[in-house]
Amino acid sequence: MPEKMIVCVAVVGHQNNPLYIQSFTEADDALKLHHIVHCSLDVVDERVNNPKKSGSPLNETFLGLLYPTENYKVYGYLTNTKVKFIVVTTDLDVRDADVRNFFRRFHAAYVDAVSNPFHVPGKKITSRTFAERVSTIVKSFGLSSAG
Amino acid sequence: MGREVSESCVDSLLTEMVSSYCDRFYANKPELAARRIEAIGFQVGHQLSERYTMERPRFSDHLEAIKFICKDFWSELFKKQIDNLKTNHRGTFVLQDNRFRWLARMSVDPSSEGGDLSQDNSAGAPENKAAQATSMHLYFPCGIIRGALSNLGIPCAVSADISNLPACSFVVRIKA
Repeated sequence: MPEKMIVCVAVVGHQNNPLYIQSFTEADDALKLHHIVHCSLDVVDERVNNPKKSGSPLNETFLGLLYPTENYKVYGYLTNTKVKFIVVTTDLDVRDADVRNFFRRFHAAYVDAVSNPFHVPGKKITSRTFAERVSTIVKSFGLSSAG
Repeated sequence: MGREVSESCVDSLLTEMVSSYCDRFYANKPELAARRIEAIGFQVGHQLSERYTMERPRFSDHLEAIKFICKDFWSELFKKQIDNLKTNHRGTFVLQDNRFRWLARMSVDPSSEGGDLSQDNSAGAPENKAAQATSMHLYFPCGIIRGALSNLGIPCAVSADISNLPACSFVVRIKA
């Protein structure tokens, strides 16, 4: 039984340009995870362009479960500024509230990172502080509900 | 709540920024100075819009985004909302602030007032100069609005109009 765990997070710009992508696994499966993130971008586009068909709540930033695979669940989040956040988790019965909470903290970290005057908008986020903060958020994912 | 910033510091910083760009870096090139100041505003607006839209659903149309600028965004920046919003429904919006904070302490040289009839040539000059100096202070807020809107996916041009201080109108023209 795998633990509640996030294996990959990504920030994707409004032109589908990768701004930050990081996997959190021991195994050498970064490429596979990047592929999953890549595929999810189409699902995000579909959700946003046909909100009625997919039945997601209108214009909410949290897009919910994008698609499940055999081993993973992929969740998405789209900010007002058309920046996409993608998270891949191995936990197959994760609670929506946990993911929402994760995205909220992730978004806050992102906002702080791009508010750095030395950050160039549209370029990759190279801040070490951001990376550390993200990995802290990732590690604490699901802990609150476990206790 | 986040950290707070002293208002007088922001006022001084704005004044200093404008005077540095106009009198030191680009002393004889007012257009270039204006462009640089606008660019700084653009970056500020770009970053602030990211922060201030964090907890809200995405906007479905231009008007909603403009309303956000008028209400929430303006409140965060100036502790008041835009007083009047007009639109021609064809992509032009006029945002009027009856007491724009960054112009509230701006004064026109008293020597230029009242004397404009007697000495046409000499009196016209200082008044003109004052208007020019005031308009230099408006490139920064124009840039902020443009930066915020363009980050929300709305490319536009923003200009400011000062007919009677300290009221100020910002004209937003959305690029089709």
